[in-house]
Amino acid sequence: MEEKKIEVKMKRRWGMVVDLDKCTGCGKCSVACNQENNMPIFEDDSDVPKRVAFLELMKVTNDRDAKFPDVKTAYLPKMCQQCEGNNSGKHKAEPPCVSVCPAVATDVGDDGVVSQVWSRCIGCRYCQTACPYEARAFNWWKPEYDGSFKKSLNTEVSVASRGTIVKCTFCSHIWKRERDKAVAKGILDINDVSYTPACVGTCPTGAMVFGDLNDPDSEVSKLASTDRAVRLTNVIDDEKNPEKKKALLNKKQFANPKVYYLTSQSWLRDMMRFKKNS
Amino acid sequence: MKKIERKDFLKLGGGAVLGGLSGWVFSGAPFLGFQWLAEWTQDQYVPVKGFEKYAQAVSDSCPAGCKVSVRMIGERAVKIESKEGVCPSCHNALQLTYHPERISTPLKRKGNKGDGKFAPVSWDEAIKDISAKMNSIIAEGKANSIAAINKNESLNGQLMEKFIRSAGSNNVYYEPSLKSLTSSALGGYVNYDFANTDYILSFGAKLVEGWDSSADMQKIFTGWKARGTKIVQADTVCTMTASLAAEWVPVKPGTEAILAFGIANYLITGKRLNSTGEEFGKWSQLIINKFPLAKVASYTGVSEDKIKKIGDEFSKAKNPVAVAGKGACGVSASSAEIIAIYCLNTLVKSRAATLMKNSAVTYTGEFAGLDSFIKNGSFSMLFLNNADPVYKSVFGEELKKKMEKAFVVSINPIMNDSANYADYILPSLSFLETATPENQPVVASFKESKDTKEVIISLSKAIEKTKNTFAFSNGIDSFKISGKESASGARFSFNVDKIKNELDALDKKFASNAEYPLFMIPVEAPLVGDGDGLAFPYVLKSIDPTVFYREKLLVQINRETGKKYGLSENESIVIKSERGKLSKVYVHLTDTVAPDTVAIPLGFGHESYTVYGSEKGVNPKKIMAADVDPLTGTADWWSTRVKIS
Amino acid sequence: MDKVKKFFKACYDGIFAGTSKNMRIALYVLFGLTALFLIFAIQILFWGLGYTDMDNNFTWGAWIIGDLGLVGLGGGAFTTGYILYIFRVDKLRPIINSTVLIGFMCYLFTFVFLLFDLGQPLRCWFGFAYPNWGKGVYPASMLTEVFFCLSFYFCILIVELIPVILEHKVLIKNKYVAAIAHYMHLLMWTMAAGGTFLSFFHQGSLGGGMWGALYAKTVWYSPHFFYMAIVAAMAGGTSFMTLIPYIASKILNKELVPMETFQLLARISGFIFIFYFVFRIFDIYKAVAVYSPMGGRAYTDMWGGYYGLWMLVLEIILFVGPLVLLNVKKYRDQEKYMVTGLACAVGAIVISKLSVLLHGFAAPNFPWKGFTAYGPTIQEWSITLGCFAVMILIYMAFVKWFPLFPHLEHDEHEAHH
Repeated sequence: MEEKKIEVKMKRRWGMVVDLDKCTGCGKCSVACNQENNMPIFEDDSDVPKRVAFLELMKVTNDRDAKFPDVKTAYLPKMCQQCEGNNSGKHKAEPPCVSVCPAVATDVGDDGVVSQVWSRCIGCRYCQTACPYEARAFNWWKPEYDGSFKKSLNTEVSVASRGTIVKCTFCSHIWKRERDKAVAKGILDINDVSYTPACVGTCPTGAMVFGDLNDPDSEVSKLASTDRAVRLTNVIDDEKNPEKKKALLNKKQFANPKVYYLTSQSWLRDMMRFKKNS
Repeated sequence: MKKIERKDFLKLGGGAVLGGLSGWVFSGAPFLGFQWLAEWTQDQYVPVKGFEKYAQAVSDSCPAGCKVSVRMIGERAVKIESKEGVCPSCHNALQLTYHPERISTPLKRKGNKGDGKFAPVSWDEAIKDISAKMNSIIAEGKANSIAAINKNESLNGQLMEKFIRSAGSNNVYYEPSLKSLTSSALGGYVNYDFANTDYILSFGAKLVEGWDSSADMQKIFTGWKARGTKIVQADTVCTMTASLAAEWVPVKPGTEAILAFGIANYLITGKRLNSTGEEFGKWSQLIINKFPLAKVASYTGVSEDKIKKIGDEFSKAKNPVAVAGKGACGVSASSAEIIAIYCLNTLVKSRAATLMKNSAVTYTGEFAGLDSFIKNGSFSMLFLNNADPVYKSVFGEELKKKMEKAFVVSINPIMNDSANYADYILPSLSFLETATPENQPVVASFKESKDTKEVIISLSKAIEKTKNTFAFSNGIDSFKISGKESASGARFSFNVDKIKNELDALDKKFASNAEYPLFMIPVEAPLVGDGDGLAFPYVLKSIDPTVFYREKLLVQINRETGKKYGLSENESIVIKSERGKLSKVYVHLTDTVAPDTVAIPLGFGHESYTVYGSEKGVNPKKIMAADVDPLTGTADWWSTRVKIS
Repeated sequence: MDKVKKFFKACYDGIFAGTSKNMRIALYVLFGLTALFLIFAIQILFWGLGYTDMDNNFTWGAWIIGDLGLVGLGGGAFTTGYILYIFRVDKLRPIINSTVLIGFMCYLFTFVFLLFDLGQPLRCWFGFAYPNWGKGVYPASMLTEVFFCLSFYFCILIVELIPVILEHKVLIKNKYVAAIAHYMHLLMWTMAAGGTFLSFFHQGSLGGGMWGALYAKTVWYSPHFFYMAIVAAMAGGTSFMTLIPYIASKILNKELVPMETFQLLARISGFIFIFYFVFRIFDIYKAVAVYSPMGGRAYTDMWGGYYGLWMLVLEIILFVGPLVLLNVKKYRDQEKYMVTGLACAVGAIVISKLSVLLHGFAAPNFPWKGFTAYGPTIQEWSITLGCFAVMILIYMAFVKWFPLFPHLEHDEHEAHH
């Protein structure tokens, strides 16, 4: 009797799309992420450069170039962009932060998610220096949870110690949770597991979408290939000539993030590329 | 012989030590030792494990009644999730439930009011003392000096209203909200049919930033995007609503009402439209005379052509609707403004705006509204139903003085600025700990805190006059008397006599003023709202550095205005109005704000709102304009004339 | 109790006996800084890095600047050693001990600074236990390379320093010690060769590769930075090694090292500076014309805030010092010009390291964010300056009690005859 082949090779590549035309800046993604991932609690969290948060709700305006009343505002939820890097001429594709860690505390999983193992981290902050998106947070102070706030902590995300780096992992612990549930139900194929990260699950306008970029029928794949799609500061996307693009990639890697932003506003598009507003 | 032996001994000993040492090192023992030392010195907290399950809950403390799914690990609630969207206060419920500064027992004041010194007492003692006081006041025939201020018109508020009214008092008030303001101005609150409108003319209403029912508006916005509904936002600051709108009409601060007058003027004179409201003729005469288009253009900064264009588009749309209520969580509008904007709806015969009322909620008491009560009324006993008028009302300081002379009972889960002036604080529950007809409590009640509904019911049973007000004795049954919404049946009236002074005042307000050349208007940060959110650490984590940075509150000022006054980024300034001054505010220069405007964030400057919310920034309400509107009884605090130094 | 008092008095006398007033003040200051260093070191190690002005945007600060400077300038050790032992330029022998000591201290304090800069110093050995190797022996992470090379080179420096310690007049009397010292001197060339080999790698990686490899950060990315850092270390390090004993000579008013040794090393430094200058101009050109556009940004857009283009201009101006004053014999022979040239050389290296770090981190990553700044806290100042104070104290101790300058000993020895 032939045994059914159980697929164990991961075929998924998780990606996210954030529609900035739908984002109202309500901040629920930020609260959900903080709650899900046990963000440390501070009485005064206004020292923003030292703030420990996986998701930063960046407020963007074009008032660097525009004057009242030709101004515009947008909120840009920014989390770890789960860069892929590119297989360029001499380099193996690696996110900018993974290749620089001296203790291999951060690594890319088969599903494309960049993991962060705080217990391996020696706190050198080289990955933080390498990250172009300021997506990594360092525990400058000891993470603490005042009194009964400890009761709302999630057991699936370990509490890091001070002096280590933490960052968004696309809630891969939720993937594990869903995987365990699937296995318990007898579904053993690793590619049958899908999940929703905390931020995407709370977004009230549906501006955030999450899914498998390797699946051409998934919503993320379709949205990521529309005209409105733009990636944060990944300037090689603007190179339309395929030969020039190939030559450029041969010389240097580019971040190649897996988070796509959708916007119909050209000022925002330009700013996400360091261009002066048209 | 001896020498050799010693040498050998030394060699052996040295070798043994060296061998032992290298063995120890290569076995990895010192490295494991380091690792253990690292973990022991850091001692991170490990959350308690448990069985995972999901429980459902419905909020009884917000007017929208958000439905949520709560992820539990053992007995602990760890996450609030909802497919339908939650309002910010429900989203923060988890942090409220487990807040380390939650009040665990009823508290009785020790020391002077405002000192913050309280001692725990038992429920029996508290209820006994409160009911004794209340009974004696009623016996003296002074029942009307018992007052209550409700946070909102959820079931808790409705029960309190019923309780106090049956005690014989007419002084029940709700903290100003969109519904209370429009109800008082129009005889019913506006029910917008946002799903079926194709053109929205919003006068400063920050539709997607916490206005009205935040969770509903997010869904409505998604629908608008899908259907291509056109939003025209008249606003002074380019906030998200203005940015996401199809068109942003920049107006000078606080002049949204004037713009409404102008558009009404144009529709009446230019397009010959009529409204069915009472006294329409009188009103339109006033508007046409006082607010010709040229004046409107100069006051608002919107050109006459633009006013006409908006009027044309508005009247030609299939189902247009004009929306009143400037602001997001903290809403402000004068009755003249609300009436004018509603008039626009009647002029174009909009089918998307109808007037409703709730059978169990009366927004008007002895006085038209909360602010007129605080200013002109008096009370010997005051119930605060999770309300914080000391912080949120512009008459907070006056209220403090009156509270010092009265017997005050506050029902709330954590300390706030108003509860600090109470005689008794009765701890209440978060919605995760209360039962509703649809679900059991998700989390066990916190120590001796009780459900607000049960507190009110127990109190009512202890008061002679109200013994039989409630036919039931537990909170669940109280849902039976929850108010029903229906068409208000009120006839829309322009109330010209009441508002004509306001029209004059508005005319004067926007004329130039040399002493106070600038206007101060509020802005809100997401999640902070008009103040409730600041006690929660995850809200603090979302605050943008252009709002509050390194313990400094930043106000936004236009770059040109900044140049005019020689201001530089992060400079410390003092803002002065007729009512007082604010110091320790810092400048953030940005062109997203109109010139000659100071945009100050709401929600900061609490005095005693847990260690997370207190002593951060300043509360602008202290110096904001305090002219009390005759119909809504609420101060029109939106735009205040100020000067900076 | 008396014995303890006697011990402390003996220490005090040993250090302060016969010192001039100025020297005493200087020593008090240095010891004061050391004390501050110890106090704040405990605070940082036990209570964490929150007490610094580094943050998620400005990730590294005073200590990494210290590391870059120390390793860059400490590169004079391997260059001098190489020229002396491999090229057999014996005129450099009088300065070699001082050079080795300074090199040793530079690397020692690099490790000390790193210990403070790591969030988890107790896990520093992870760099060795879990290294991030790429293909073959090519490290994927520059820091892995730094860890290994720096540690091996530090061992080499220890070995190079041991003879200096053993030659202490008390120790050298023991015949075993003398034998070890003698044989070590003979084999020193192997150490020098090994040290040079390792230095090429870690100078390149710590000084340049670390930054140049960050492909996502346009402000730093440049594939040739690795090589330029090596040249910079050789150029600036030799100047630094010349300058320090010169200053010591001036303070002690003794000729610790013959002037021709100074001039020779200064000449070598000036010569390497020509290469460094050319390389730097090439580097700026590449950054403006190739690497900035590759990252979609304009070169000048990335300079601003406090650490603006003035840093670049200052660096170019400081280049003039070594290029002219150390290469042209007329100037090199005049002491005051030589010293100016040396100081400018060290200054150019220091400014370039400051610019890499300060300007690099201050440049915004998003166009809606502005330039950021860094102002070290008292903890960072104390630890940085305290470490420098300890280095000065150790150098002074060696000058006083160990035969750091064989030329001096030789002369004195001859004078006694």
